[in-house]
Amino acid sequence: MRRPYIGTRRHNKGIVMTNTTEPDNSPPLRLRLRVPAKAVVTFSPLLQAGFVVTARTGCSVKTLLCGQFGIDEEYVTRRITTMFLDSRPVDKMDSTLVRDGATLALSCAMPGLVGATLRRGGFYAAFREGISCREEESPVRPGIGSLKIKLFNLLMGELGPLFLGRGIIVAASAMEELLAGSSVEFLASCWEVSVDTAPAQVTAMIKNDIFKGREKVRLTVLFDPPVEVLEDDL
Amino acid sequence: MDKIARIDMSTAGGPTVTMTELGEYAGLGGRAMTSIIIATEVHPLAHPLGAENKLVIAPGMLSGTAGAMTGRLSVGCKSPLTGTIKESNAGGQAAQVLARLGYAAIILEGKPPTDDLHKIHISKDGIKITVDNTLRLLDNYPAVAKLREEYGDKVAYMTIGSAGERKLLAASIACTDPELRPTRHCGRGGVGAVMGAKGIKAIIIDDAGMKMRPPKDPERYRDANRKFVEGLRKHPVTGEGLPAYGTNILTNILNEAGGYPTRNFKSGVYEGGSKLSGEAQAELEIKRGGKATHGCHRGCVIQCSGIYNDADGNYITKQPEYETVWSHGGHCGIDDLDTVARLDYLDDNIGVDTIDMGVAIGVAMDAGVIPFGDKEGAIRLVEEVGKGTPLGRILGSGAAITGKVFGVERVPVVKDQALPAYDPRPIQGIGVTYATTTQGADHTAGYAIATNILKVGGDVDPLKTEGQVELSRNLQIATAAIDSTGMCLFIAFAIMDQPETFQALLDMLGSFYGITMTGDDVVALGKKVLSAERDFNKRAGFTAAHDRLPRFFYTEAIEPHNQVFQITDEELDSVFNW
Repeated sequence: MRRPYIGTRRHNKGIVMTNTTEPDNSPPLRLRLRVPAKAVVTFSPLLQAGFVVTARTGCSVKTLLCGQFGIDEEYVTRRITTMFLDSRPVDKMDSTLVRDGATLALSCAMPGLVGATLRRGGFYAAFREGISCREEESPVRPGIGSLKIKLFNLLMGELGPLFLGRGIIVAASAMEELLAGSSVEFLASCWEVSVDTAPAQVTAMIKNDIFKGREKVRLTVLFDPPVEVLEDDL
Repeated sequence: MDKIARIDMSTAGGPTVTMTELGEYAGLGGRAMTSIIIATEVHPLAHPLGAENKLVIAPGMLSGTAGAMTGRLSVGCKSPLTGTIKESNAGGQAAQVLARLGYAAIILEGKPPTDDLHKIHISKDGIKITVDNTLRLLDNYPAVAKLREEYGDKVAYMTIGSAGERKLLAASIACTDPELRPTRHCGRGGVGAVMGAKGIKAIIIDDAGMKMRPPKDPERYRDANRKFVEGLRKHPVTGEGLPAYGTNILTNILNEAGGYPTRNFKSGVYEGGSKLSGEAQAELEIKRGGKATHGCHRGCVIQCSGIYNDADGNYITKQPEYETVWSHGGHCGIDDLDTVARLDYLDDNIGVDTIDMGVAIGVAMDAGVIPFGDKEGAIRLVEEVGKGTPLGRILGSGAAITGKVFGVERVPVVKDQALPAYDPRPIQGIGVTYATTTQGADHTAGYAIATNILKVGGDVDPLKTEGQVELSRNLQIATAAIDSTGMCLFIAFAIMDQPETFQALLDMLGSFYGITMTGDDVVALGKKVLSAERDFNKRAGFTAAHDRLPRFFYTEAIEPHNQVFQITDEELDSVFNW
């Protein structure tokens, strides 16, 4: 299997994933930290429950994944075999368009009859024909918008670092719950921690209740060693 | 496997054992063996708990061999829950051990004249049946612990808990796993009640001195098995997803698709779904020193099970499966994995089907017995089953009885068996299988998804709605065949996507029996099994009117897709036209 995504430099070619305007006026708390690579699993509650990113909307799912997020096309085709757009299974990545405010959930192949049924373009797609994604009847206007992304199962470990490294927006309560439930070992392993660009310590953040009164957190996580930039594979 | 043991529990001087040759049952295994014996020998109007019913225990065609994934054990009878023919299968060690002893089937017949409890010891020296009333009302974990003191750790145990002794309609038969925990259950249809009605508490299977069953063509068998294992290991479902997260990997996906039945099928999305997910479960298991990857029997290469510990690192239960996490979780509005694990342990210990038990609790919640989301209340209700209180006996008799007793309109059952964890409104095709299967609502009745490889019924256009009936038919045929091999159904993913892995399976069967096996042979076997089962049910009084989903699926649209079940009765009635 090819590594999941391409180098950061490729993401800079006119692609907007971060550093854009937020969907509402309340600025999120900006939390940035560096952790060991193995700690990616700690963030799985956020990744599977869903997080917000800003992107160009009005494009196809495939363009979003490969063109904007920079995920390798072969990886998308072979690995992300199950995907949902607003709870509807996607069969045609090329022609299914993404609207502002949509939720896109991504998964590997799933077991069971229903797992096979929900597969993209799968043999048993007829079983869920009534809920499948259809061609848009009304035009989808291109623009900059917010998308909710959910990563499931093996994709959490494989694509999580990509999104976490570029920054995701999550509910402050979810972030608070995550840190409160994290192990002492994980908290001690966080370094280069900053809150709204000011240096901070994770344990002090929890103690000082910094999430109180905040709605959202913009979380950026860097991994050491980095889990990214795979130009050699291309 | 060249013999059948018939144990008659009726005889006045105590049970008698008769050994017979295979005769007309030669070449059968697993579900094919259990269903064809029941269809041939049991009066279709027999009372399921009476002397006329039989309980057939059969390893699969490849059980007891060196082949991977061959450890499923089939148990068949007329079901006290559904009134139909029933085959319920489980993993664990029993199938492998029984097959190595040469038994193609053990048939329990008659009914004892006293209320004594019996245990059956099967070894190379024969079958010995003794009365042991010291086991009375011991649940599965303590019963196995007591039996281990006498028979040791190098055997396989099949037991019933107090639910089976009380002949509750959701009672299961427990099979021990490699660590001798009674965690693998023939769960569906009340097979444990039939074993209880026969006065049998435990079966101890000891294969000391026996060897693996030898194939006719050892070299070809070894080669086929190697390719088969390679195929399983390289496939993303059987080689990665299932080992990492188990079957509960489905929670997030079903929830996202709007097909996760929530609070007794009132919604297709559960807000607490991610807290119950296989991803969350695996992380917790590893964090607490349990295991996220574990096999239910020796020779399993998928390893979809696990070990679930409490916060202090003490064993609670095996990794609850997706259907269990759903039935005790989202179906009851409970988003706490520790509660689900505790309920899974209670189910295994008392000996009840986790699906029917969980669905019954949800139906009771809908009736207002306890509120949705009441974690302690749910545990209390299952404990009532273990105590055998009047309320516990109602709940332990499954969702259909519970719904009737409490006057609930929305009772998700077909032929009185509870629907599993997939709502048939957004995923209508599975509703076709739920409605028409010979077994009552059962997701595994149409599970062998390799129908494209088998070409059962020719090519079907998967994008046409009218293909759903034909696909369901093909799935049910393929599943009946796979259930007869003793193979775990999870092999279906690899054989669906990898023709060479399917060929390896055929080569395993062919080289073991010294025959040439084709896809057509597999299809013919599946049709033979289904035809026998359908015929039994027809003679038992089942008609097309029983092949329907409950009306609320046709009248209540479910969020988020606001769909009702739309497959017509005429389409459902055409499923078995072949």
